[in-house]
Amino acid sequence: MTTATRRRPPGAGIWGTSQSRFAYTLVLPVVLLLAGLVAYPFLYAIYVAFTDRVVGNDGQWIGLANFRYLAQSPAFSAAVWNTIVLVVASDALKLLIGLGLALLVNRRFRFQGLFRSLLMLPWAMPAFVAFLTWRVLYQPIGGGINLLLTDSGIYPEIVDWLGQRSTAMPAVIAASVWRGFPFWFVSILAALQTIPVELYEAARVDGASAWQRFWAVTFPSIRPVVIITAVLSSIWTANSFENVWLLTQGGPSDATIVFPVLAYFGMQTQRLGEAAAVSVAMLPVLAILVFTGTHMMQRGEDE
Amino acid sequence: MKQHGHLTRRRIIQATLAGTTALATRSALAAPALVKGSKLTYWGGLIFSDKANKMLVETIKKWGADNGIQTDVVMINQNETVQKVSAAVASNAMPDALDLGLDLLLLLSRQGVFITLDDLYTSVGKAQGGWFPAVASATDTTKVAGGRTGLPFGITGNLLLRRNDVLSKAGFAKAPATWEELATQAAAVNKPPFYGLGLALSNVGDGNTQIGVLQSYGGRIADDTGTKAAIKSDATREYLRWVKNAWDKKLFPPGNTTWDGAGDNNAYLSGQAAFIANTGSVGIAAKNQDPELFQGTLYSALPAGPKGTVSPTDPNVRAIPKASKNPDAARALLEHLAQPEFMSAYYAEAIYGPVLQGQSTFKTFGPQDAIHSGLLDLVQRGTAPAFPDVYNAAYADAYNNFVVPKMIQRVVIDSWDFDRAMDEAQKQTQAIYDKYK
Repeated sequence: MTTATRRRPPGAGIWGTSQSRFAYTLVLPVVLLLAGLVAYPFLYAIYVAFTDRVVGNDGQWIGLANFRYLAQSPAFSAAVWNTIVLVVASDALKLLIGLGLALLVNRRFRFQGLFRSLLMLPWAMPAFVAFLTWRVLYQPIGGGINLLLTDSGIYPEIVDWLGQRSTAMPAVIAASVWRGFPFWFVSILAALQTIPVELYEAARVDGASAWQRFWAVTFPSIRPVVIITAVLSSIWTANSFENVWLLTQGGPSDATIVFPVLAYFGMQTQRLGEAAAVSVAMLPVLAILVFTGTHMMQRGEDE
Repeated sequence: MKQHGHLTRRRIIQATLAGTTALATRSALAAPALVKGSKLTYWGGLIFSDKANKMLVETIKKWGADNGIQTDVVMINQNETVQKVSAAVASNAMPDALDLGLDLLLLLSRQGVFITLDDLYTSVGKAQGGWFPAVASATDTTKVAGGRTGLPFGITGNLLLRRNDVLSKAGFAKAPATWEELATQAAAVNKPPFYGLGLALSNVGDGNTQIGVLQSYGGRIADDTGTKAAIKSDATREYLRWVKNAWDKKLFPPGNTTWDGAGDNNAYLSGQAAFIANTGSVGIAAKNQDPELFQGTLYSALPAGPKGTVSPTDPNVRAIPKASKNPDAARALLEHLAQPEFMSAYYAEAIYGPVLQGQSTFKTFGPQDAIHSGLLDLVQRGTAPAFPDVYNAAYADAYNNFVVPKMIQRVVIDSWDFDRAMDEAQKQTQAIYDKYK
């Protein structure tokens, strides 16, 4: 076992050298800003989750009571499962669509710029407008999707897309994927454009097939971007409220209820402690996502 | 034994002085000193009528100009009042006066957020024939705040809107008197994509209309003490049977288990529903957008169940936060807004029922206006909020967590049997009530 002894540099006091003190001073405003804008609200929300705070009353420490109440609620267990399904399914689809389109658009063709801009439109559209439009499309009577299916003869029956347990979550996922895939598309496209053409030429000379070129050249090059995109997108999807609220309000029968909608119900009853507890209950899952993503990125860099 | 005193000069002077003092005190009470140049912020509740919204803003601004007060009127979407007021309370940024619903008033009054307005409430009531009893009892915050904290200005509640043009052809000239009769009439005219029952069964306020139907069947959310859940009962089973029968006959438009707040409005306005329960906003919209539909629509009170009619009135109030920087001006403004001159014009454009007996003589509430006369009928014959349940914080929590619409969804969406659905709702409701013990 070895022990490392830290030595103070010559001329350095307890607060370091004058040079490092100056550096700390420069960094201090940013640290304070982050502490005020990020750390304080974050830690305060955790504290509130352990209180019976309501609007107009700071409340008292009640330990795990809010979490016990949530744990027995059928809506909470439904929210846990639905959030996982929404995040995994929509991000997997966003990856497939984003990657496919990025590979397609990375080639040279006429109107390339226009095509790229068009693909970004769903992301540029305000979420409120996008999901209300999807709601209209899903309408059983007069909705665009049903009209298309019945008029074209593909499916003669009217489908209540948002009103049935079997179709409600897939409908929410489809709308969420439509709105979110451009972020994946643009991130992957940017990563693709950094891959040197020489690598592909060398692979071709070695007789690699298209799949082998993708697996040996493309994928390792874009992997760090895919990982960070996956982490960010998962966090955003897990925290997304408008998609579910505007389409189904968590129904029917809790079929689409997710954490943010559950927290909103807590807010509607002005029970801030309970609403905070819902958000805090999400933290472990989000923390695992962040740490896994960071770890995978680190591993990629080491390799 | 009655004693008669002599009218001496001293007594006359004393009486004159006492009278003058009393008058001075009264006028001081009626018209508190307004500080010229001071500021007043008012948060008004945005409603469906642009004319009514504009009228409220202009009236406040004119009052401000007449009294030398700088007014700032912010109209707030009523769906966002809870969030905005909650944030304002937490950040100590409340306006000087605001419009709000009874739920929020009761909750915040418990936390001591508002000043009491007993004198203003009494003087306005006396001047206009007294408050309607349903309004007076529903808005009484004395037990929780030591006095009345809200000055009522309008009631809302559901009326039954029906397509008389369609129903009369099918032989139904009269409004259905019971929920069973309603289902019968709805079934008779049900020809998809025209559906009989445009009632929401989703997790929005309109879905909670079903609580009243449940209660009219004798079902309850909790017992008379307001502490113990009482959803599981034979009466609830009967009610669920009524809903399930209607569902199985496909009387509800598809999608009604996930409708948003405008779902029933849209269904009726697009000609997809024969009946809806609505505050009357749909009638106003039909008047402007579809005169033919408006002409074909009739309005009536909600039908009765085996235990009678449950038709809750929901008062809206004006209140002054303790944090107000200009409470005297706020009181004066609230008194001004309660005057018949403004309210008669405002009611004509808004979808509110009257709160004061004297307002019932306003032309708007005459028989020529089906919606407003229906709202007058509602305030005279409607039931108190939550009746026959106890209106307390636990009830409001169960209401906002959509316990009853979710129980129905278990039956119609998940095909649970009645007992299983009631068991879950009972357990969930008890857990909610236990939080408030």
